[in-house]
Amino acid sequence: MRNILLIFRRDYLGYVKAWGFWLSLAAVPFFMIIGGSLAGFAAQSSPVRYYAVVEPGTTLYADAIEAEFQRREEADRETASQLAEQMDMPDETSAQISNTQADRKFIRVPAPADTIDGLRPYLLGEKTVSGPVGDKPLFAALVLSSDKDELEYWSDDVNVTQLRYLTEDAMLRLARREALKDAGLGEDFLKNVDESAFKVPAKRIRPEAEQTAEGADVTMADRAPMFVAGGLAYFLWLMVFSIIQYLLMGTIEERSNKIFDTLLTSVKLPQLLAGKLLAVFAVTSTMMISWGLFAFVGASVIASQVPGTGSLIAPFLSALANPTIIVPGLISFLLGYVMYGVIFMALGSLCDTIQEAQTLLSPMMILLMLPMFAIFIAFQDPGSPIVDIASWIPFFTPFLLILRMPQDPPMWEILAQMGIMAATTALVLWGATKVYRAGAVHGAGIGDMGSALKRMIGLKGKAA
Amino acid sequence: MPVSPLVLSSVTKRFGHFTAVDNLSMEVPEGQIIGFLGPNGAGKSTSLRMALGVMPPDEGHVELFGRAPGIEALKRVGFLPEERGLYKKMTARDTITHFARLKGLSASDARARADELLQATGLDEFSRARISKLSKGMAQKVQILSTLAHRPDFLILDEPFSGLDPVNQQALEDLIRAEHDRGATILFSTHVMEHAERLCDRIIMMARGRKVLDGTLAEAFSTLGQGARITVEPGFDMAAALANTGFEATRVADEAHGDTWRIELPRGREAQDALRAALEAGAPIRGFAPDEARLRDVFVSLVGEADAEALAASEAAEGEAA
Repeated sequence: MRNILLIFRRDYLGYVKAWGFWLSLAAVPFFMIIGGSLAGFAAQSSPVRYYAVVEPGTTLYADAIEAEFQRREEADRETASQLAEQMDMPDETSAQISNTQADRKFIRVPAPADTIDGLRPYLLGEKTVSGPVGDKPLFAALVLSSDKDELEYWSDDVNVTQLRYLTEDAMLRLARREALKDAGLGEDFLKNVDESAFKVPAKRIRPEAEQTAEGADVTMADRAPMFVAGGLAYFLWLMVFSIIQYLLMGTIEERSNKIFDTLLTSVKLPQLLAGKLLAVFAVTSTMMISWGLFAFVGASVIASQVPGTGSLIAPFLSALANPTIIVPGLISFLLGYVMYGVIFMALGSLCDTIQEAQTLLSPMMILLMLPMFAIFIAFQDPGSPIVDIASWIPFFTPFLLILRMPQDPPMWEILAQMGIMAATTALVLWGATKVYRAGAVHGAGIGDMGSALKRMIGLKGKAA
Repeated sequence: MPVSPLVLSSVTKRFGHFTAVDNLSMEVPEGQIIGFLGPNGAGKSTSLRMALGVMPPDEGHVELFGRAPGIEALKRVGFLPEERGLYKKMTARDTITHFARLKGLSASDARARADELLQATGLDEFSRARISKLSKGMAQKVQILSTLAHRPDFLILDEPFSGLDPVNQQALEDLIRAEHDRGATILFSTHVMEHAERLCDRIIMMARGRKVLDGTLAEAFSTLGQGARITVEPGFDMAAALANTGFEATRVADEAHGDTWRIELPRGREAQDALRAALEAGAPIRGFAPDEARLRDVFVSLVGEADAEALAASEAAEGEAA
């Protein structure tokens, strides 16, 4: 154990003393802050744009567009209100959120001309129009065509499409409203029809003993396990993905430094492997824990500023503490880490240079991308048979068994998959140790994979 | 009864169809300096790696301090591998400390020992320098110090003089003597016979995976009769020229200025007799000297000219590396 810890200590300190480690550690929070700030800045700094509607003698279309703006703003307030309700916020804060009005980024101004030729200098920015936020060029003009069957959208910047799509929705609603009016039905008819439609509230069926009228409602507590399982699976995947370069580069360094003989006269090969694996695990854990702490501090700051956030987080913490998720999760995590870790270490022991290692990285990346696709499928459709079947493949089990847990799969399947995963991990460990020995002791290279395989099954190979 | 640090019994190692070590038996008694000699490819490194348990023999068995090589026995051994290597990003002090701790020293003892060794070898001002910043010679010194840090009872040094300049070779010879004086048993491999002549109590010679000699220096030299060395113009066949004179000639060096032949003196004949016979045979003589026996000649006489040329090639490569 002492030797394992000494190998672990040297490797761990070797990694964390490198400036690249600190760069990686700082990069994620740094770019999260930069990204978040940029997103917020982009939302806030989005300019207010003027538009005009040219419809001689009427405001029918302009009113329809204004009504669509108001409908969407009302929908946004409703969503915010529902979120505030779930977060168990104080009434005052909840009301404040419900009444929050986002600044509108498109403001209608009177059309400075009636024709496209007249509007051209305003749309091209050569002239400005006056509006609530000062003088600005006209961003877009919606002009009723001469035969009055189209509302043409004119703008110098056709890449900003929000106003155009909003106008299309507005015209659709206007057409339906006009059709109903022509049929002799009032303006509120459609609204009343919409409001009279049956609601379809989601209810969660539970065993009778647990089922109560209130307990049948679907809440965040029902959805949280899937999010947590998905998060754990993705976390494992990210961790495995992160260790590739550490394990490959670390082993290549030792091989190119010709240090194996010295090490192997001081420690046993399994001790060397265990120490190195532990070190890389600790390095990635240090990163993840640091990022987790950053997220925790960030969440705490947000929680202190936004009342009720705690009640939103509580179901996730509860799911994380659920033994039916966390126990298989931890076992999968451990076995998955060891399984992939020793594979990369064994491959690294066959490489003299980074270029050689890169030739091995591509197939390994493809192998690693497959469970990632399965994670996406599981998010879309947790009960997908693809996920069920793929979870029996030992290389994917670590990721997919975690994902299946919220679906309450049969116990025999859980135990069987864990058993297969454990047996495969043991087999991989055995094989990887043989390959590692072939690379470290006998100097086998990628080109000697055939010889290495022969060595694994007890035949001899390359001279030392 | 003291246990020998190392015993190899009928050890054989094959790689595919190639036999690297063939039925080797040898013993390293306690307290001696043993030279393990032979050209590159003779099987020395493979034998040492088997002795340390890094690779198992296909046949025969190895005993290190009376038992199979294992981590506990290896704690009494300091090993300098032929292929030098250290962690380039570690400092000199951390490197020695790390390897000393792996051999069982406590953290404080290992650090103190590292400081002591670095000071003793004049490397203390580089103790906090990374290995990558040190010269090749200094890095090699650090590796040697790492080998000695835990005060091993048995030092196995695989080509320890390889890559060192003459000054550092002398320093290493002094260090080996100092370790021997401390009580350590030392086994070192080399293809440079002069180091063995100066240092060893006993030598073991290898050629093509087989042991060809195992004995003291005196025993090694006794395998040679008395002789003389005559250097002639290149291409002159001295063996043929002396064929009917009772002298036997063996070419021992093939250099630009001429070929050197060793003339075996039959009992009762002297070096001057051989010179006279060569002159009478018309030899274009460029140099003459009564023979001073060297290990190289012992090796040549034991293994023949083909392996002698392999040895010369190893030495030439070593000279270029240094």
